[in-house]
Amino acid sequence: MLLIECPWCGERAETEFSYGGEAGIVRPAEPDALSDAEWADYLFNRTNPRGAHRELWNHAQGCRRWFGVERDTVSYKISGSFKLPSGGEA
Amino acid sequence: MSEQRTQVSIVPDTGFINLRGDSQDADFLNAAEAATGQRLPVKANTVSEGELRVYWLGPDEWLLVCPAEKVADVISQLNEKLSGLHVAVNDISGGNTSMHLSGESVRALFSKGCTLDFHPKVFKAGDCAQSGLAKASVLIGLIEGGTTFELIVRRSFAGYMLKWLRHAGREYGIEFT
Repeated sequence: MLLIECPWCGERAETEFSYGGEAGIVRPAEPDALSDAEWADYLFNRTNPRGAHRELWNHAQGCRRWFGVERDTVSYKISGSFKLPSGGEA
Repeated sequence: MSEQRTQVSIVPDTGFINLRGDSQDADFLNAAEAATGQRLPVKANTVSEGELRVYWLGPDEWLLVCPAEKVADVISQLNEKLSGLHVAVNDISGGNTSMHLSGESVRALFSKGCTLDFHPKVFKAGDCAQSGLAKASVLIGLIEGGTTFELIVRRSFAGYMLKWLRHAGREYGIEFT
């Protein structure tokens, strides 16, 4: 069981959260201008690193906010949580 | 020594109002206070008690709990005072059930089905938390000076929750009133 720190609620059990994949994927501003390969890269290709990974989590059974977590994909050790640039405050 | 038995009661005719707005906006907080007569709790996972019980649900979301017959008044006050602001006020009374639990063993009982720490040094009067209890999503608050736990579940989960409480609470001599 992972202990994940929600930026608002503090450390909670992993069962309260749902996983949202890699953090920092920005939707292209003009999808029509992209080639199929570039669009597929945005949709499907992820870095899948061995080691430090910045990823999205949602505190689904708690405050229901999205936030970011930095987790080591080998040891599962979580080194910290961060609010997303949109803040999630409002 | 009289051990206080664990008691559970469903609070009938409870009204629930979901309020959303920007907690960074002083105008919003002041207007909400003018409408409800009490300050919205901005500290995470706390509940403020006055005419209403106001639970912190998120950085921009609160749950207002009051007797069902007051809901219409509270909503019209909120709509009046908050007009022009970017907010949402919703009556969700039909979707929730409130239970009050008291007695010495409530903390131990909750601990059987929930990952939160219910030690008295950690979960204090005025604290609340949303979590899972026996896999049901719940809101738990410690109210009335720390004597009563309020357990709020979705209405459709109430029957299941009561069955679980009856089973898990048997060793504590749980009573339903």
